[in-house]
Amino acid sequence: MIRVIFFAGLASLMVALAVPPDATAATVIMGTVKNEAGKPLPGLALLEKGEIHNNIWDRGTLVGADGRFRIELPTGGQYGLHVYSSGYIYSPEAVKVETGKTLEVKVVLDPEPMRANTPVIKKAGFFPWEARQGKVTFVKLDVEDPNGDLGPQVLALNAATGRAYAMNPPKRITDLKANFPNGIYQLEVDTSKGPINPRDWHFVVADHQCNTTDILSFPHDPKPQKVIGKR
Amino acid sequence: MSRRIPPLLIGFAVACHVWPAPAGVTQAAAQTGLQALVAEGERLWTHSPDTGNPVACATCHRDPAMTRGWAAGFPKFKPLPPPHARVMTLLQANAEAVERHYRLADPLPAATAITAFLTAQAAGIPISPGISAGQPVFPVRMQALTASVVRGKQAYARSCSQCHNPFDLAPSATAFPRAEGGRPESLELFLEGHRPLQPPLAWDGQATADIMAYLMSQAAGRPIGHHTYRASTEGKEGS
Repeated sequence: MIRVIFFAGLASLMVALAVPPDATAATVIMGTVKNEAGKPLPGLALLEKGEIHNNIWDRGTLVGADGRFRIELPTGGQYGLHVYSSGYIYSPEAVKVETGKTLEVKVVLDPEPMRANTPVIKKAGFFPWEARQGKVTFVKLDVEDPNGDLGPQVLALNAATGRAYAMNPPKRITDLKANFPNGIYQLEVDTSKGPINPRDWHFVVADHQCNTTDILSFPHDPKPQKVIGKR
Repeated sequence: MSRRIPPLLIGFAVACHVWPAPAGVTQAAAQTGLQALVAEGERLWTHSPDTGNPVACATCHRDPAMTRGWAAGFPKFKPLPPPHARVMTLLQANAEAVERHYRLADPLPAATAITAFLTAQAAGIPISPGISAGQPVFPVRMQALTASVVRGKQAYARSCSQCHNPFDLAPSATAFPRAEGGRPESLELFLEGHRPLQPPLAWDGQATADIMAYLMSQAAGRPIGHHTYRASTEGKEGS
Protein backbone atom coordinates (compact mmCIF):
# COMPACT_ATOMS: atom_id res chain seq x y z
CA MET A 1 0.00 0.00 0.00
CA ILE A 2 2.80 2.36 0.96
CA ARG A 3 4.41 1.48 -2.36
CA VAL A 4 1.24 2.39 -4.27
CA ILE A 5 0.95 5.72 -2.46
CA PHE A 6 4.63 6.42 -3.04
CA PHE A 7 4.43 5.75 -6.79
CA ALA A 8 1.15 7.62 -7.12
CA GLY A 9 2.72 10.61 -5.38
CA LEU A 10 5.81 10.36 -7.53
CA ALA A 11 3.69 10.23 -10.68
CA SER A 12 1.70 13.30 -9.58
CA LEU A 13 4.92 15.18 -8.87
CA MET A 14 6.32 14.31 -12.30
CA VAL A 15 3.13 15.47 -14.00
CA ALA A 16 3.21 18.71 -12.05
CA LEU A 17 6.84 19.32 -12.99
CA ALA A 18 6.19 18.50 -16.63
CA VAL A 19 3.50 21.18 -16.97
CA PRO A 20 4.97 24.65 -17.51
CA PRO A 21 3.96 27.08 -14.79
CA ASP A 22 2.09 29.31 -17.23
CA ALA A 23 0.26 26.52 -19.05
CA THR A 24 -3.01 27.59 -17.48
CA ALA A 25 -2.42 31.26 -18.27
CA ALA A 26 -4.66 32.72 -20.93
CA THR A 27 -3.39 33.38 -24.45
CA VAL A 28 -4.40 36.93 -25.20
CA ILE A 29 -3.96 39.68 -27.71
CA MET A 30 -4.87 43.09 -26.43
CA GLY A 31 -4.13 46.62 -27.39
CA THR A 32 -5.00 50.23 -27.83
CA VAL A 33 -6.33 52.01 -30.90
CA LYS A 34 -5.71 55.72 -31.36
CA ASN A 35 -5.34 58.30 -34.05
CA GLU A 36 -2.04 60.08 -34.58
CA ALA A 37 -3.03 62.79 -32.12
CA GLY A 38 -3.49 60.15 -29.44
CA LYS A 39 -7.28 60.19 -29.34
CA PRO A 40 -8.70 56.74 -28.48
CA LEU A 41 -10.83 55.28 -31.25
CA PRO A 42 -13.70 52.80 -30.87
CA GLY A 43 -14.28 50.13 -33.50
CA LEU A 44 -13.62 46.50 -34.29
CA ALA A 45 -10.57 44.25 -33.89
CA LEU A 46 -10.83 41.12 -36.05
CA LEU A 47 -8.41 38.23 -36.44
CA GLU A 48 -7.50 35.92 -39.29
CA LYS A 49 -6.09 32.63 -38.05
CA GLY A 50 -2.74 31.87 -39.66
CA GLU A 51 -1.16 34.02 -42.35
CA ILE A 52 -2.53 37.51 -42.75
CA HIS A 53 -4.80 38.09 -45.77
CA ASN A 54 -5.66 34.36 -45.96
CA ASN A 55 -9.31 35.33 -45.37
CA ILE A 56 -9.77 32.67 -42.69
CA TRP A 57 -11.50 34.79 -40.10
CA ASP A 58 -11.59 33.54 -36.58
CA ARG A 59 -12.31 35.80 -33.68
CA GLY A 60 -12.98 39.40 -32.99
CA THR A 61 -14.19 41.94 -30.52
CA LEU A 62 -15.40 45.48 -30.15
CA VAL A 63 -12.86 48.16 -29.43
CA GLY A 64 -14.25 50.27 -26.60
CA ALA A 65 -14.65 54.03 -26.44
CA ASP A 66 -11.39 54.05 -24.50
CA GLY A 67 -9.68 52.57 -27.55
CA ARG A 68 -8.91 49.31 -25.77
CA PHE A 69 -9.60 45.75 -26.86
CA ARG A 70 -8.83 42.26 -25.61
CA ILE A 71 -9.26 38.91 -27.38
CA GLU A 72 -8.66 35.63 -25.64
CA LEU A 73 -7.36 32.90 -27.93
CA PRO A 74 -7.57 29.10 -27.64
CA THR A 75 -3.97 28.76 -28.70
CA GLY A 76 -0.95 30.81 -29.67
CA GLY A 77 0.37 31.12 -33.18
CA GLN A 78 0.29 33.39 -36.16
CA TYR A 79 -2.69 35.69 -36.68
CA GLY A 80 -3.63 38.59 -38.92
CA LEU A 81 -4.94 41.44 -36.80
CA HIS A 82 -7.19 43.95 -38.55
CA VAL A 83 -8.43 47.03 -36.74
CA TYR A 84 -11.29 49.21 -37.98
CA SER A 85 -12.76 52.50 -36.84
CA SER A 86 -15.36 54.61 -38.62
CA GLY A 87 -13.77 57.31 -40.76
CA TYR A 88 -10.34 55.69 -40.69
CA ILE A 89 -8.34 53.46 -43.02
CA TYR A 90 -8.14 50.01 -41.50
CA SER A 91 -4.84 48.68 -40.18
CA PRO A 92 -3.63 45.15 -40.98
CA GLU A 93 -0.77 43.61 -38.99
CA ALA A 94 0.68 40.10 -38.84
CA VAL A 95 1.20 39.11 -35.23
CA LYS A 96 2.63 36.15 -33.37
CA VAL A 97 1.00 35.27 -30.06
CA GLU A 98 2.73 32.83 -27.74
CA THR A 99 0.59 30.29 -25.94
CA GLY A 100 -0.04 31.31 -22.35
CA LYS A 101 1.16 34.86 -22.91
CA THR A 102 -0.37 38.24 -23.64
CA LEU A 103 0.66 40.18 -26.69
CA GLU A 104 0.02 43.91 -26.42
CA VAL A 105 -0.13 46.01 -29.56
CA LYS A 106 -0.53 49.71 -30.22
CA VAL A 107 -2.49 50.57 -33.33
CA VAL A 108 -2.53 54.04 -34.88
CA LEU A 109 -5.15 54.68 -37.54
CA ASP A 110 -5.15 57.34 -40.25
CA PRO A 111 -8.30 59.08 -41.39
CA GLU A 112 -9.75 58.38 -44.82
CA PRO A 113 -8.82 61.53 -46.79
CA MET A 114 -12.00 61.26 -48.84
CA ARG A 115 -14.96 58.91 -49.06
CA ALA A 116 -15.67 58.99 -52.80
CA ASN A 117 -13.98 55.59 -53.25
CA THR A 118 -15.21 54.05 -50.04
CA PRO A 119 -17.50 51.03 -50.34
CA VAL A 120 -21.06 51.54 -49.22
CA ILE A 121 -23.18 49.15 -47.16
CA LYS A 122 -26.63 49.84 -48.55
CA LYS A 123 -28.59 47.45 -46.38
CA ALA A 124 -28.23 44.70 -43.78
CA GLY A 125 -30.80 42.08 -42.86
CA PHE A 126 -31.42 38.82 -40.97
CA PHE A 127 -33.59 36.17 -42.57
CA PRO A 128 -34.56 32.97 -40.73
CA TRP A 129 -34.97 30.14 -43.22
CA GLU A 130 -38.63 29.15 -43.02
CA ALA A 131 -38.06 25.68 -44.48
CA ARG A 132 -35.68 24.90 -41.62
CA GLN A 133 -37.96 26.36 -38.92
CA GLY A 134 -35.46 29.10 -38.30
CA LYS A 135 -32.64 26.69 -37.49
CA VAL A 136 -30.62 28.50 -40.07
CA THR A 137 -30.58 32.25 -40.47
CA PHE A 138 -29.11 34.12 -43.40
CA VAL A 139 -27.32 37.34 -42.59
CA LYS A 140 -27.25 39.50 -45.71
CA LEU A 141 -25.41 42.64 -46.64
CA ASP A 142 -25.96 44.69 -49.79
CA VAL A 143 -22.59 46.18 -50.74
CA GLU A 144 -21.48 48.53 -53.49
CA ASP A 145 -18.05 49.96 -54.22
CA PRO A 146 -17.85 53.17 -56.28
CA ASN A 147 -14.43 52.36 -57.74
CA GLY A 148 -15.19 48.68 -58.30
CA ASP A 149 -12.35 47.06 -56.39
CA LEU A 150 -14.07 45.27 -53.57
CA GLY A 151 -12.03 42.51 -52.01
CA PRO A 152 -12.79 39.65 -49.66
CA GLN A 153 -13.13 41.94 -46.65
CA VAL A 154 -16.89 42.02 -46.38
CA LEU A 155 -16.89 41.21 -42.70
CA ALA A 156 -19.26 40.53 -39.87
CA LEU A 157 -18.69 40.24 -36.15
CA ASN A 158 -21.02 38.54 -33.71
CA ALA A 159 -19.88 40.34 -30.58
CA ALA A 160 -21.86 37.96 -28.34
CA THR A 161 -19.89 34.92 -29.49
CA GLY A 162 -16.68 36.70 -30.49
CA ARG A 163 -16.80 35.12 -33.96
CA ALA A 164 -15.67 37.02 -37.04
CA TYR A 165 -16.81 36.05 -40.53
CA ALA A 166 -16.04 36.87 -44.14
CA MET A 167 -19.41 36.99 -45.90
CA ASN A 168 -19.84 34.98 -49.07
CA PRO A 169 -19.87 37.01 -52.30
CA PRO A 170 -22.72 36.76 -54.83
CA LYS A 171 -20.55 34.42 -56.89
CA ARG A 172 -17.69 32.14 -55.89
CA ILE A 173 -14.23 33.72 -56.24
CA THR A 174 -11.01 31.80 -55.65
CA ASP A 175 -8.51 34.54 -56.48
CA LEU A 176 -8.67 36.79 -53.45
CA LYS A 177 -6.84 39.57 -55.27
CA ALA A 178 -9.55 39.72 -57.91
CA ASN A 179 -12.12 42.48 -57.76
CA PHE A 180 -15.18 41.18 -55.97
CA PRO A 181 -18.64 42.04 -57.33
CA ASN A 182 -21.14 44.48 -55.92
CA GLY A 183 -24.31 42.87 -54.63
CA ILE A 184 -25.69 40.77 -51.81
CA TYR A 185 -23.11 39.09 -49.58
CA GLN A 186 -24.44 36.54 -47.17
CA LEU A 187 -23.65 34.30 -44.28
CA GLU A 188 -25.43 31.15 -43.16
CA VAL A 189 -25.61 31.04 -39.36
CA ASP A 190 -26.64 28.04 -37.29
CA THR A 191 -29.50 29.26 -35.08
CA SER A 192 -30.70 25.86 -33.92
CA LYS A 193 -29.79 26.72 -30.33
CA GLY A 194 -31.27 30.19 -30.35
CA PRO A 195 -32.21 33.01 -32.65
CA ILE A 196 -29.89 35.73 -33.78
CA ASN A 197 -29.92 38.95 -31.83
CA PRO A 198 -29.26 41.67 -34.39
CA ARG A 199 -27.88 43.91 -31.65
CA ASP A 200 -24.82 41.66 -31.47
CA TRP A 201 -23.91 42.04 -35.13
CA HIS A 202 -21.50 44.57 -36.59
CA PHE A 203 -20.36 44.93 -40.20
CA VAL A 204 -17.44 46.54 -42.00
CA VAL A 205 -16.16 46.42 -45.58
CA ALA A 206 -12.75 47.34 -47.02
CA ASP A 207 -11.70 47.28 -50.66
CA HIS A 208 -8.36 46.41 -52.27
CA GLN A 209 -7.14 50.00 -51.86
CA CYS A 210 -7.91 49.84 -48.12
CA ASN A 211 -10.87 52.23 -48.43
CA THR A 212 -12.93 51.25 -45.40
CA THR A 213 -16.61 51.74 -44.64
CA ASP A 214 -17.87 53.07 -41.37
CA ILE A 215 -18.82 50.27 -39.01
CA LEU A 216 -22.48 49.40 -39.31
CA SER A 217 -24.00 48.42 -35.96
CA PHE A 218 -27.56 48.00 -34.70
CA PRO A 219 -30.07 49.21 -35.83
CA HIS A 220 -28.10 48.76 -39.07
CA ASP A 221 -29.43 51.88 -40.75
CA PRO A 222 -26.72 53.09 -43.11
CA LYS A 223 -25.81 56.76 -42.68
CA PRO A 224 -23.55 59.08 -44.68
CA GLN A 225 -19.99 58.04 -43.99
CA LYS A 226 -17.88 60.13 -41.63
CA VAL A 227 -15.21 62.45 -42.94
CA ILE A 228 -12.75 62.93 -40.14
CA GLY A 229 -10.54 65.43 -41.98
CA LYS A 230 -7.03 66.23 -40.99
CA ARG A 231 -6.22 65.60 -37.34
CA MET B 1 29.06 22.57 -78.20
CA SER B 2 31.07 25.65 -77.24
CA ARG B 3 32.22 26.08 -80.84
CA ARG B 4 28.66 26.85 -81.86
CA ILE B 5 28.13 29.80 -79.54
CA PRO B 6 31.04 32.22 -79.67
CA PRO B 7 28.86 35.26 -80.53
CA LEU B 8 26.79 34.54 -77.44
CA LEU B 9 29.87 34.33 -75.27
CA ILE B 10 31.24 37.58 -76.66
CA GLY B 11 28.01 39.35 -75.80
CA PHE B 12 27.99 37.72 -72.42
CA ALA B 13 31.56 38.77 -71.69
CA VAL B 14 30.75 42.38 -72.55
CA ALA B 15 27.65 42.27 -70.39
CA CYS B 16 29.54 40.80 -67.45
CA HIS B 17 31.97 43.69 -67.45
CA VAL B 18 29.45 46.49 -67.35
CA TRP B 19 27.96 45.52 -64.03
CA PRO B 20 28.07 48.03 -62.31
CA ALA B 21 31.34 49.91 -62.46
CA PRO B 22 30.88 53.36 -63.96
CA ALA B 23 33.87 55.62 -63.52
CA GLY B 24 34.76 59.32 -63.42
CA VAL B 25 32.25 61.58 -65.06
CA THR B 26 29.96 58.68 -65.75
CA GLN B 27 29.95 57.85 -62.05
CA ALA B 28 29.13 61.42 -61.08
CA ALA B 29 26.31 61.51 -63.61
CA ALA B 30 25.05 58.22 -62.32
CA GLN B 31 25.15 59.57 -58.77
CA THR B 32 23.18 62.66 -59.78
CA GLY B 33 20.73 60.46 -61.62
CA LEU B 34 20.41 58.23 -58.58
CA GLN B 35 19.71 61.19 -56.32
CA ALA B 36 16.98 62.32 -58.70
CA LEU B 37 15.56 58.82 -58.71
CA VAL B 38 15.55 58.69 -54.91
CA ALA B 39 13.87 62.10 -54.77
CA GLU B 40 11.24 60.89 -57.22
CA GLY B 41 10.75 57.82 -55.07
CA GLU B 42 10.22 59.96 -51.99
CA ARG B 43 7.69 62.08 -53.86
CA LEU B 44 5.78 58.98 -54.96
CA TRP B 45 5.99 57.57 -51.44
CA THR B 46 4.36 60.63 -49.95
CA HIS B 47 1.96 61.64 -52.75
CA SER B 48 -0.37 59.47 -54.79
CA PRO B 49 -0.33 60.18 -58.53
CA ASP B 50 -3.96 59.06 -58.57
CA THR B 51 -5.91 62.27 -58.06
CA GLY B 52 -9.01 60.20 -57.49
CA ASN B 53 -7.49 58.49 -54.48
CA PRO B 54 -5.02 60.53 -52.42
CA VAL B 55 -4.05 57.62 -50.16
CA ALA B 56 -0.26 57.31 -50.57
CA CYS B 57 2.28 54.85 -49.20
CA ALA B 58 3.15 57.30 -46.43
CA THR B 59 -0.48 57.65 -45.39
CA CYS B 60 -0.17 54.33 -43.59
CA HIS B 61 3.61 53.78 -43.57
CA ARG B 62 4.54 57.20 -42.28
CA ASP B 63 7.09 56.25 -39.65
CA PRO B 64 10.60 56.50 -41.19
CA ALA B 65 12.02 54.52 -38.28
CA MET B 66 9.77 51.63 -39.24
CA THR B 67 10.32 51.74 -42.99
CA ARG B 68 14.05 52.40 -42.84
CA GLY B 69 14.85 48.73 -42.38
CA TRP B 70 12.50 47.38 -45.02
CA ALA B 71 14.97 47.15 -47.90
CA ALA B 72 17.37 45.06 -45.82
CA GLY B 73 14.69 42.42 -45.26
CA PHE B 74 14.10 41.59 -48.93
CA PRO B 75 13.61 39.29 -50.72
CA LYS B 76 11.00 37.97 -48.37
CA PHE B 77 7.68 36.18 -48.31
CA LYS B 78 4.89 38.62 -49.04
CA PRO B 79 1.54 37.49 -47.62
CA LEU B 80 -0.61 38.59 -50.53
CA PRO B 81 -4.10 37.14 -50.73
CA PRO B 82 -4.10 33.55 -52.01
CA PRO B 83 -2.97 32.37 -54.48
CA HIS B 84 -0.54 35.29 -54.91
CA ALA B 85 1.48 34.98 -51.70
CA ARG B 86 5.14 34.26 -52.55
CA VAL B 87 8.72 35.36 -52.06
CA MET B 88 9.21 38.74 -53.69
CA THR B 89 11.94 41.27 -54.16
CA LEU B 90 11.43 44.78 -52.85
CA LEU B 91 10.79 46.04 -56.39
CA GLN B 92 8.25 43.32 -57.07
CA ALA B 93 6.44 44.05 -53.79
CA ASN B 94 6.45 47.77 -54.55
CA ALA B 95 5.16 47.15 -58.07
CA GLU B 96 2.29 45.08 -56.71
CA ALA B 97 1.41 47.80 -54.21
CA VAL B 98 1.74 50.61 -56.75
CA GLU B 99 -0.43 48.79 -59.25
CA ARG B 100 -3.11 48.17 -56.64
CA HIS B 101 -3.10 51.48 -54.80
CA TYR B 102 -2.02 53.96 -57.47
CA ARG B 103 -3.68 52.13 -60.36
CA LEU B 104 -0.83 52.82 -62.77
CA ALA B 105 -0.98 50.91 -66.04
CA ASP B 106 2.81 50.45 -65.92
CA PRO B 107 3.87 50.19 -62.28
CA LEU B 108 7.57 49.64 -63.01
CA PRO B 109 8.85 53.26 -63.17
CA ALA B 110 7.10 54.27 -59.94
CA ALA B 111 8.10 51.02 -58.22
CA THR B 112 11.73 51.52 -59.30
CA ALA B 113 11.81 55.03 -57.86
CA ILE B 114 10.17 53.94 -54.60
CA THR B 115 12.61 51.04 -54.36
CA ALA B 116 15.51 53.49 -54.81
CA PHE B 117 14.06 55.66 -52.04
CA LEU B 118 13.65 52.76 -49.61
CA THR B 119 17.08 51.34 -50.47
CA ALA B 120 18.68 54.75 -49.86
CA GLN B 121 16.90 54.93 -46.51
CA ALA B 122 18.38 51.57 -45.57
CA ALA B 123 22.00 52.49 -46.32
CA GLY B 124 24.31 50.87 -43.80
CA ILE B 125 21.73 48.49 -42.37
CA PRO B 126 22.85 44.84 -42.38
CA ILE B 127 21.15 42.70 -45.01
CA SER B 128 18.76 40.25 -43.34
CA PRO B 129 16.54 38.52 -45.90
CA GLY B 130 13.13 37.64 -44.53
CA ILE B 131 13.61 39.58 -41.33
CA SER B 132 12.62 43.14 -40.58
CA ALA B 133 13.70 44.79 -37.36
CA GLY B 134 10.90 45.05 -34.84
CA GLN B 135 8.67 42.58 -36.64
CA PRO B 136 8.06 38.97 -35.63
CA VAL B 137 9.72 36.15 -37.56
CA PHE B 138 7.23 33.61 -38.89
CA PRO B 139 8.61 30.10 -39.46
CA VAL B 140 6.30 29.42 -42.42
CA ARG B 141 7.55 32.52 -44.20
CA MET B 142 11.17 31.63 -43.52
CA GLN B 143 10.58 28.14 -44.92
CA ALA B 144 9.21 29.69 -48.11
CA LEU B 145 12.28 31.93 -48.30
CA THR B 146 14.61 28.97 -47.77
CA ALA B 147 12.92 27.12 -50.62
CA SER B 148 13.33 30.20 -52.80
CA VAL B 149 17.04 30.40 -51.94
CA VAL B 150 17.47 26.73 -52.92
CA ARG B 151 15.77 27.31 -56.27
CA GLY B 152 17.85 30.45 -56.77
CA LYS B 153 21.07 28.61 -56.03
CA GLN B 154 20.25 26.03 -58.67
CA ALA B 155 19.35 28.68 -61.22
CA TYR B 156 22.48 30.64 -60.39
CA ALA B 157 24.65 27.57 -60.87
CA ARG B 158 23.08 26.98 -64.27
CA SER B 159 23.12 30.51 -65.59
CA CYS B 160 25.40 32.85 -63.67
CA SER B 161 28.25 31.11 -61.89
CA GLN B 162 30.48 30.88 -64.96
CA CYS B 163 31.30 34.55 -64.58
CA HIS B 164 30.07 35.61 -61.17
CA ASN B 165 31.21 34.41 -57.79
CA PRO B 166 28.02 34.86 -55.79
CA PHE B 167 29.74 35.90 -52.57
CA ASP B 168 31.63 38.70 -54.37
CA LEU B 169 28.70 39.73 -56.48
CA ALA B 170 25.99 39.74 -53.85
CA PRO B 171 26.77 43.05 -52.08
CA SER B 172 26.77 44.95 -55.36
CA ALA B 173 23.20 43.89 -55.89
CA THR B 174 22.24 46.49 -53.29
CA ALA B 175 23.70 49.21 -55.53
CA PHE B 176 20.46 48.92 -57.48
CA PRO B 177 18.30 50.64 -58.50
CA ARG B 178 20.76 52.85 -60.33
CA ALA B 179 20.60 55.49 -63.01
CA GLU B 180 22.69 54.51 -66.00
CA GLY B 181 22.83 57.26 -68.59
CA GLY B 182 19.97 58.95 -66.82
CA ARG B 183 17.84 55.85 -67.20
CA PRO B 184 16.58 54.26 -63.97
CA GLU B 185 17.33 50.58 -63.80
CA SER B 186 16.49 48.00 -61.20
CA LEU B 187 18.46 44.80 -60.72
CA GLU B 188 15.38 42.88 -61.79
CA LEU B 189 15.23 44.75 -65.10
CA PHE B 190 18.99 44.39 -65.52
CA LEU B 191 18.70 40.63 -65.09
CA GLU B 192 15.85 40.51 -67.57
CA GLY B 193 18.12 41.89 -70.26
CA HIS B 194 21.51 40.84 -68.93
CA ARG B 195 22.14 37.87 -71.18
CA PRO B 196 20.18 35.39 -73.15
CA LEU B 197 19.19 33.43 -70.11
CA GLN B 198 17.27 30.29 -70.88
CA PRO B 199 14.52 30.57 -70.04
CA PRO B 200 14.61 34.38 -70.02
CA LEU B 201 13.92 36.02 -66.68
CA ALA B 202 10.96 38.32 -66.25
CA TRP B 203 11.61 41.23 -63.88
CA ASP B 204 8.46 40.43 -61.94
CA GLY B 205 8.81 36.65 -62.00
CA GLN B 206 9.42 34.12 -59.27
CA ALA B 207 12.70 32.97 -60.89
CA THR B 208 14.14 36.48 -60.57
CA ALA B 209 13.08 36.63 -56.93
CA ASP B 210 14.71 33.23 -56.36
CA ILE B 211 18.06 34.30 -57.82
CA MET B 212 17.99 37.49 -55.78
CA ALA B 213 17.02 35.54 -52.66
CA TYR B 214 20.09 33.37 -53.21
CA LEU B 215 22.34 36.38 -53.81
CA MET B 216 21.08 38.15 -50.71
CA SER B 217 21.57 35.01 -48.65
CA GLN B 218 25.23 35.27 -49.62
CA ALA B 219 25.30 38.89 -48.50
CA ALA B 220 23.48 38.48 -45.20
CA GLY B 221 25.01 40.62 -42.49
CA ARG B 222 26.78 42.95 -44.88
CA PRO B 223 25.56 46.55 -44.95
CA ILE B 224 23.37 47.87 -47.71
CA GLY B 225 25.27 50.38 -49.79
CA HIS B 226 27.04 50.99 -53.03
CA HIS B 227 29.56 48.30 -53.88
CA THR B 228 31.55 48.00 -57.06
CA TYR B 229 32.09 44.66 -58.65
CA ARG B 230 33.90 43.25 -61.64
CA ALA B 231 33.11 39.88 -63.03
CA SER B 232 35.76 37.22 -63.20
CA THR B 233 37.24 36.65 -66.65
CA GLU B 234 37.75 33.02 -65.83
CA GLY B 235 35.40 30.30 -66.81
CA LYS B 236 33.62 32.07 -69.64
CA GLU B 237 34.84 29.51 -72.11
CA GLY B 238 33.59 26.72 -69.92
CA SER B 239 30.66 24.51 -70.68
